[in-house]
Amino acid sequence: MKQVLYIKSTSAISPQHTFYPEQFLEPLVNSDDNKLRVIDIDYSKYISPVAIRRMSRLLKMGISSGMQSLKDAGISQPDGIITGTSHGSKKDMEQFVQDLIVLKEEALNPTYFIQSTYNSVNGWLAMQSKSTGYNQTYVHRGASFELALFDAWLMLQDAKRPEYYLVGGFDELTDNYFVIKSKIDYWKKENIDSLSLLEHSDTPGTIAGEGAAFFVATNDEKDALCAVPSIKMLQDPDAAAITKALAELLEENGIAIADIDVLLCGMNGDASTQDIYTPITENIDTRTTIATFKQLCGEYETTTGFALWLACQLITRQEIPEVIVHKKGSSNSIKYILLCNHSVFRNVSLTLVKAVK
Amino acid sequence: MEDLKLTLKQQIIDSLNLQGMKPEDIDDNAPLFGEGLGLDSIDSLELMVLLERNYGIKIEDAREGRKILQSVQSMAEYIQEHKKVS
Amino acid sequence: MSEKIVVTSIGIISALGQGKNAHVSAFRAQQSGLRNPKHLKSKYADEFVLGEVRLSNDELSELVGLPTGDNGYTRTTLLALAAVQDIVNDAGLALLQSEPTAFINANTVGGMCTVENMYMEFIAPTAPEEYLKYIDTLDCAESTQRITEHFGLNAFSATVSTACSSSANAFIFGARLIKHGIVKRAICGGCDSLSRFTLNGFHSLKNVDKNPSKPFDQNRLGLNLGEGAGYVLLETESSAKERGAHIIAELSGYYNSNDAYHPTAPSPDGSGAYRTMQKAMEMAGIQPEDIGYINAHGTATQSNDSAEGKAIENLFGSNAPYFSSTKPFVGHTLAAAGSLEAIFSMYAMEEQMIIPNLNFETRMEELNISPVASLIENVALKHVLSNSFGFGGNNVSLVFSKP
Repeated sequence: MKQVLYIKSTSAISPQHTFYPEQFLEPLVNSDDNKLRVIDIDYSKYISPVAIRRMSRLLKMGISSGMQSLKDAGISQPDGIITGTSHGSKKDMEQFVQDLIVLKEEALNPTYFIQSTYNSVNGWLAMQSKSTGYNQTYVHRGASFELALFDAWLMLQDAKRPEYYLVGGFDELTDNYFVIKSKIDYWKKENIDSLSLLEHSDTPGTIAGEGAAFFVATNDEKDALCAVPSIKMLQDPDAAAITKALAELLEENGIAIADIDVLLCGMNGDASTQDIYTPITENIDTRTTIATFKQLCGEYETTTGFALWLACQLITRQEIPEVIVHKKGSSNSIKYILLCNHSVFRNVSLTLVKAVK
Repeated sequence: MEDLKLTLKQQIIDSLNLQGMKPEDIDDNAPLFGEGLGLDSIDSLELMVLLERNYGIKIEDAREGRKILQSVQSMAEYIQEHKKVS
Repeated sequence: MSEKIVVTSIGIISALGQGKNAHVSAFRAQQSGLRNPKHLKSKYADEFVLGEVRLSNDELSELVGLPTGDNGYTRTTLLALAAVQDIVNDAGLALLQSEPTAFINANTVGGMCTVENMYMEFIAPTAPEEYLKYIDTLDCAESTQRITEHFGLNAFSATVSTACSSSANAFIFGARLIKHGIVKRAICGGCDSLSRFTLNGFHSLKNVDKNPSKPFDQNRLGLNLGEGAGYVLLETESSAKERGAHIIAELSGYYNSNDAYHPTAPSPDGSGAYRTMQKAMEMAGIQPEDIGYINAHGTATQSNDSAEGKAIENLFGSNAPYFSSTKPFVGHTLAAAGSLEAIFSMYAMEEQMIIPNLNFETRMEELNISPVASLIENVALKHVLSNSFGFGGNNVSLVFSKP
């Protein structure tokens, strides 16, 4: 029997009110320019003045949500820190490249170069928490966060005592990034109200988002928020592969599709990727509520982090906010949530989240 | 020299994003590194970028740089010295 | 599960060339591959020596069976394809496709080598049509995805990016996946190509030497950048024996830990490096005196060599084993460094030789030990240690043992 991964705490900085528990998704935030940017919190509570002055937004977001997650779990020194990001500190990289070109390779700021390293958030979290343990960063497009979570699960298989891993996923949105990807049709051509994203699923493109989500993952069930018994990662799967992965996931956990209370989907309003969800949505039971989340956070490669944060909220609060309901099911409690997500590179993941109480 | 030091202090504040600080908060002779302002090795590199961009002074060796960057006074003196020569 | 993990194939390309012979003969001739770059277009091309792979992008494309010219492939991906191709040819594609084979890649700057030349057009209102195919090539996973598609390796893939320790971390992840039965085999390693971005990035840190670097030398001035790709095929010892594969070495020990000290500098007393090496040897079940050779990270920066040197001295005492940095041969290849240098360590063990630390002249004041300055042959090596220490305090040590 493989060791189950439990989530002891979670913290998310996102375009919605998600960081402070008393403000759970209230009021809802929307945009009309196809961009959803995070609501900045008071980062100075987590990062010293000496350190914060140089930091990019992404670093601040990542460090703050990571430290809050540790605080909520009551863990000061995690056994390891494992993160995933698709693009890291975009802003720093952009600044360095532009300066490189405009200043013709003269007098360049080292800070931008250093911070553009993909594991810079990891390095800072290790310093702040004085964690000398396992430290890893995955930069693998739409599977970056999933790989981080999977790696934590793999570490826990070898654990001989209670162990705690800080696991996170983060990506930022910059104006340049939006402009660049618009050239290859990532975004909706027409400006839409972000909250109505799913109503525009007949046209191509989506809206851009950003965020950071962290978790303390452990093999210790005590006081856990929930369990994550299965994670499946697929690369550009067809309908048969998705169906097969779902069947395996259900069988491994001894459950039927009708046992899923909430199907939390990463449908993003892009007509060209709706097909990814069809093998699941067309087989789902009437008990199951189908919910969507990208109208809240926008599209970026580590949105599964946001979705997992949201799943933790649904389970602990035993409520489904109306704003995410796509199709209401008849189940009146939340024990099993199936996360199904995709990215523009057609990384697809299925993650099962289970209540423990 | 006084004008130069005032300008330099503001440039240091801007370049290193020393939020909330004003030029009058920086003493001419206070050590910039270690105890004084508590700047670190990356800051010293950023100050060398400042010297290059604003005064055309290139410092190739990081260790040589640390001597020049000891205080606002030493920086100003170095700038004046090298402006004269060039 | 405590199955031994072994290396059965190697693919490598660097400034010294491609494959084992090119590298071992250069080590024996003590002939560095550093030169002023011919392919990288930088204003510093005539000032800095770099570890540039001799082949042009067209030559690399031909090598891997791709059309030449503007084919949508970055130099990073081409280097990786060339190295992985050698493994595929050696082990056989049928084997790698028929049983789950992971591809664990490491990379730090992705397609920056290409994108930095198009960036201003990318952010302008319109970009030339022929540039658009490069818009999604910047990130680290670009090369990973291209390789899994090119060779049809779909079982499991990942891209690790922890700066200079990246590909050493890729080895560890691949080994763990095999031990836990997630996959049967894993191709692990890393790639990075030269770019103005990294050259100027390290230059802004003022730790680049224009001339060939002098690791562990009192008068060292910094590193030389390099490019390359290095991969190994990992599997269990029983799986290798079952198919009659030649076992090159056993990956007998590994450890990843963090310095938790500074964003770019190691803890000056070398305690991070010390712990990492110690734990890797502990896992291998060996004592410090069993190590015959250390391939040091040895970037020739002030801080790395001081910290690493102290760590080696403290851990091994006055009986420190032979150690050298091979970066003067190929440069600091960033994400590829961990894998290239692990491969060099295995070559050293196979050839029973100690690869010299070129350009060493004067011992560092703070150390009592010095690296090996000239080639030594006929050394019985049973266990070798390879270090990789990256930005963000990411430290990795790997132990390889003779099969």
